[in-house]
Amino acid sequence: MSETLKKLKKAVLEGDDDLALSLAQKSLEEGAQPLAIVNEAIVAGIQEAGELWKKNEYFQSDMIMSAEAFRAAMEVVEPNLAAGETSTAGKLVIGTIAGDMHNLGKIMVVAMLRGAGFHVIDLGEDVPTKTFIDKVKELKPDILGLGCYMTTTMAEMENVIKHLEESGLRDSVKVMIGGVPTSQEYANESGADAWGKDALDAVEKAQRLMDGGKLE
Amino acid sequence: MMEQPRMTVSAGMPDHVMTLTGIPAKKFYWDAKTCVDAFAEVADYYQMDVFNATADLYNFEVEGLGAKMVYGDNSMPTIDFREPLIKEPKDLLKLKTPDFYRDGRLLFALDCIKLGKEREKGATVGRFCGPFSLAVGLRSYPALIKDMRKRPEFARDLLTFVVDEVLLPYLKVQKEYCGINIAGGANAWAVVPNLSVSELKEWSVPYSRRLVEKAKEIGIMANCADGDYNEERLEKFNTEILYGAFDVQIASQGMPAIFLGMGRWQDFPLQAVLDYTAKYRSQGIMIPVRAAVNALFLRNGPADKIVDYIKRYISTFAPEHEISMALANIPADTNPDHVHAAVAAIHTYGRKPIAENLDEIEFKLPKRESFQEWKKLKSA
Repeated sequence: MSETLKKLKKAVLEGDDDLALSLAQKSLEEGAQPLAIVNEAIVAGIQEAGELWKKNEYFQSDMIMSAEAFRAAMEVVEPNLAAGETSTAGKLVIGTIAGDMHNLGKIMVVAMLRGAGFHVIDLGEDVPTKTFIDKVKELKPDILGLGCYMTTTMAEMENVIKHLEESGLRDSVKVMIGGVPTSQEYANESGADAWGKDALDAVEKAQRLMDGGKLE
Repeated sequence: MMEQPRMTVSAGMPDHVMTLTGIPAKKFYWDAKTCVDAFAEVADYYQMDVFNATADLYNFEVEGLGAKMVYGDNSMPTIDFREPLIKEPKDLLKLKTPDFYRDGRLLFALDCIKLGKEREKGATVGRFCGPFSLAVGLRSYPALIKDMRKRPEFARDLLTFVVDEVLLPYLKVQKEYCGINIAGGANAWAVVPNLSVSELKEWSVPYSRRLVEKAKEIGIMANCADGDYNEERLEKFNTEILYGAFDVQIASQGMPAIFLGMGRWQDFPLQAVLDYTAKYRSQGIMIPVRAAVNALFLRNGPADKIVDYIKRYISTFAPEHEISMALANIPADTNPDHVHAAVAAIHTYGRKPIAENLDEIEFKLPKRESFQEWKKLKSA
C-alpha cells in the first residue's frame, strides 16, 4: 500500500475530514485505482474505527469524526468509480421520519453501511411518509431504514410501514428501524423486520436481512 | 394519623403527559397554564409526590437565541440540526443574550416554572440546559467535536459565552420572575459514550462548574451533573470507564454524589457501584446514589421486572447510602400500568426506615383504571 493510502486510512481512522479529503485527492492524482483507495484506505479506516468502538477505545465523538472523514474522502473518490463497483451488498434507502431532525446516528449508520458495501440513498431528515413510499416505489431498495429520536415521532414509523402495506410494497422491501427511543420490542410491535441498536449493529442486521436470515 | 415517611417519586414526562392528555403539541408546548395543569393532573393520576412541569430541557435557550426550529404537529419543538445557528465560528460574535421575556418560548418556560411552583406538588426549582448540551444545540454535535479538536480556542469561547451570556442571565431571570433559588441542569450530551471521560473532564466539567460557582454569586444553588453512564451494549459495560464517569459526576457537582441515570441499570451489575462507593463508605460518608428507571425499560416493561429492579436498587443501596429515585423521561406511548407499578414499588419498598429485608414486604402490582376513567371518576 502506498504511503498516501496509509495516511488516508489513518486520517479516516482518526477522523480528520480535511486531511482525508486532500489525501483522497492526492491518491487519485498519484494514479491509485479508485476501488483500491476505497477498499484499502477509506473503508479500512472506518472499519478499524468500528473495531475500536467495540473495544471501548473509541467513543461517539471518535466515531462521528471518522464518519465525517469517510464521507469527505468518499465524495472525492466516488465519482471516479465505475457504476456498482463498491455497492454490491444491497441497496438501502434511509431517512429520519417526519417531525424529527436528529441525524447524528444516521450519519454514522450511513457511513458504516457504505463501508460495508451497501448502496445507500439518504433521504435526509424530517422525511414525509409519502416520500418514503414514493422512493421505495421508484428506487426498489432491498431495505428501508427509518430513524427517529423522539418518542412522539416514533409512531410515524408504524405509519410508514402501514402505508407500505397499503401500497402493496411491504413484501418487496425489508424495514429496519433505529434511534434512541426504539428497541427490539418496538420493532416487533411496529412490524419492522429488524432493529439496529447502533451503527455497527445496523450493518450486521442489514447483512443478515440480505442473507435472508431470521431476525428476532 | 401521620403517614409513614417514604421515598418520593417524580418523573420527567412531557411527551407522555402530552400524549396521555391528548393535548395538541402546539398548545401543550406554548400555553403554560395548559401544560402545568396537564402535568399536575398526570402526576395525580400516577400518585407521584412531586412534578416538575418542565415541557422541555434542551430547546428553549437555543430557540431564544434564534436557532431554526421544527414545530411538529405531534411532537416537541426541536432544533433543526441541518442549519445550526453557529455555522461558522464567526457567527458566535453575532449572538447576544436573549430577551428572556420576548424571545422564542422563553417566557413560556418561565411561566411553567412559576405556575408549577405554585401548585401543591409542583417542584420549586428552576431548570436549564447544561452548558455542553447548549453548545451542541447551537453548533451541532459533529461541528462542536471538530471545534474541540481543531479550534479549541473557539470551542472554549463558545462554552464560556453559553455560561456567561446565556445561562447565568437566564438563571437570574428565573430567580426574579419565578422566585426560585435552586436550579437543576440537564446535560444529556455530556455523557458516556457521547464523550470519553477525558473529553468530559476537559470540555464539560469546567463549564458546568463555572456556571454553578457563578450562580452562587447571584443567590442560586445550581446543579449540573455531567457524566451519566449510558452505554447501550451490555458487552461493553466497563468498570474503569464507569468509575471515570462517576469521577466526572462528582467533579461536575462539586460534591460526592453519583447517579445511575439513563443507562441500562436494570441490566448493569449494581455491585460495581458498591465497589466504587466503598472508599466513601470506609470514611463514613453516606454518599448519595440517585437512580432513575430507564425510559425504554419503563416503556417496554414488563411491570414485574421494573418492580424487581426498583427493589434491587433500594435493597442494594439503602443500608449505607442516601437514595432517591425518579422515572426517567417517560416515553410518549408508555403503558400506564408500567408507571403505576414503578410508583407503587418505590412507595412500598421505599417506606422509611427502609426494611432490612425487602422480601418480607408484601407487594402486589396495582390494578388501576385508565387515565380517562380516572378523570371521569374524579369529576363525578
